[in-house]
Amino acid sequence: MNMAMFKADGKFAVLIAYFKIILTYRAMMLIHAIRLLLLPLVLASAWLSIEKTASNPYSDSDYLLYYLLVPVIMNLTDSRVVFKFSQAVKDGSLNRELLKPFPPLMSYLLESLANNALQLLYLVPFTLVFWLFVRDRVLLGHLKPSLLLFFVVAIIIGTLARLVVSGSIALLSFWIEDVTTLNLILNGGIWALLGGMIVPVATFPENIRHIAELLPYRYMLSFPIEIFSGRLSNSEIYIGFATATFWIILFAIIMHIIWKSGLKTYTAYGG
Amino acid sequence: MFNMPVMNEQVHEYAIVTKALNREFKVRLKAEGLLASVRNFFSPASKTVNAVNDLELQINRGDIVGFLGPNGAGKTTTLKMLSGLLVPTSGSIEVLGYTPFNRDHAFLKSISLVMGQKQNLWWDLPPVETFAIHRQIYGLTDAEYKSRIDELIAMLEIADCLETQTRKLSLGQRMRCELAVSLLHQPQILFLDEPTIGLDIIMQKKIRSFLLDYHRRFNPTILLTSHYMDDVAALAQRVIVIDHGNKVYDGHLTDLTNKLHPEKIISVLLNDGEFVCKLEDGCRLIHHEGQHYRFMVSRNRVPELAARLYATGNIADLTIEDPPLEDLIGQLFTPDSQSR
Repeated sequence: MNMAMFKADGKFAVLIAYFKIILTYRAMMLIHAIRLLLLPLVLASAWLSIEKTASNPYSDSDYLLYYLLVPVIMNLTDSRVVFKFSQAVKDGSLNRELLKPFPPLMSYLLESLANNALQLLYLVPFTLVFWLFVRDRVLLGHLKPSLLLFFVVAIIIGTLARLVVSGSIALLSFWIEDVTTLNLILNGGIWALLGGMIVPVATFPENIRHIAELLPYRYMLSFPIEIFSGRLSNSEIYIGFATATFWIILFAIIMHIIWKSGLKTYTAYGG
Repeated sequence: MFNMPVMNEQVHEYAIVTKALNREFKVRLKAEGLLASVRNFFSPASKTVNAVNDLELQINRGDIVGFLGPNGAGKTTTLKMLSGLLVPTSGSIEVLGYTPFNRDHAFLKSISLVMGQKQNLWWDLPPVETFAIHRQIYGLTDAEYKSRIDELIAMLEIADCLETQTRKLSLGQRMRCELAVSLLHQPQILFLDEPTIGLDIIMQKKIRSFLLDYHRRFNPTILLTSHYMDDVAALAQRVIVIDHGNKVYDGHLTDLTNKLHPEKIISVLLNDGEFVCKLEDGCRLIHHEGQHYRFMVSRNRVPELAARLYATGNIADLTIEDPPLEDLIGQLFTPDSQSR
């Protein structure tokens, strides 16, 4: 789909509308930014304060760079689809999306994208300020254009992976009254553990690391940072892209099936 | 299983056709008390409710049809099936030649469903922003958008609230803006579910008069549900009454009132003195206060009694009216009404 089509069928107008709405909630954006920054900051402090074992491939410098990027990547790949969609099914506001000649899930996707993009207004300056404090200890000499390109592609793939996993959970709202707990388990706890939020995936024991590399979660957070840190060879990057793409396709198919089936059971409560 | 409709020429004469349309809902049941809750945890009880039962509809293009029935009769469920929000349990629906729940974009561009005052408006943005988004989604040209929006703003008198955040508008302003956005793409079919609910009498009248004016100009098919019988009386030539998902009446409103209530009310205000006319069969006094009298009169005796009253030369004012529509419709749903 080219830009002209994106503009012509209303997607651009809807995206801009969400930008306008989100910008009116400045305080909420700030609180959300603090939430995104706080935990990585605590985790970075914890990892820097403990003594590293010989088997740990991460130095203090690696941990600093990793947790500097965690809030930004967390935000860019974040998805509000579960919360918004389950709410829409419960209060019937999904009705208004279903009545428009516009892909119904697109509206939730665009809202999520707009939110993630605008959150950078806070996150980027905060990250730059943190970087200024630790810049002598963070090594960036290895960065080159091809690595940055891989980094950007990995973020896009990570965003899509999180979106389809979140979307599949969200669509279960057609049958399950409250999917937020399920989301907390699959898209919160397991994501934080296997995605590399609490511990960088590269520092996992080998067996667990292999499992994490096979599952979709690593590609939603750790993988782009590993690329940026220059820790992965080209072949490892390609294998990562292929693994993530497999999960994206699989969950996209699952989403499609759930959507078709869910619409038949949808009771369209309220207005 | 849902049967796909057979497309034929006869079907296309109508804007809406349904055949043996059914929609069931599974409703969870739970008796009172902790024990019942525990029992329900291990063995959830439920029952199946038929919200719409073998509904047959044929609605001509350009008609305004009132859809009446008590709460839970299946009116809104039917509107939701006709607009594609709900998939029928069985039966067939064809709206403008489309199967609604397939949600073809061409179909969605041909209809509008108005339910409450925030169906289409973006809550956090002013209406003018919603209009602009709507224009993009429905693919209106600059010229179409400009002429239609100007016309709707004038007809609905909403120029003063276009730039106010929707959440800060009054109910009446929101409803008028809701109608504007719903009509911006000039739908061929307009589904209105309680369009005047919660509005004061003046605003109800404004909305009714707008809808009549809009219909006169653009001739859309309108299917309307309302608890305010004045809405139905003012707008609909034909009414369909459903109860417990079953159609119990389909025809002209006047025929329905004649059938249900073969009497009319004559109200008289005398110049002075008291009413001295002798009341005969088919005529009874139902209210008297000062010089004001109200009689319930058999329809066939109305001209005769009115003439006799005028002949007394003591009449300051005389009106003839039908009993309140609410009362008539209420009669349809009383237990002994089934024999009517």
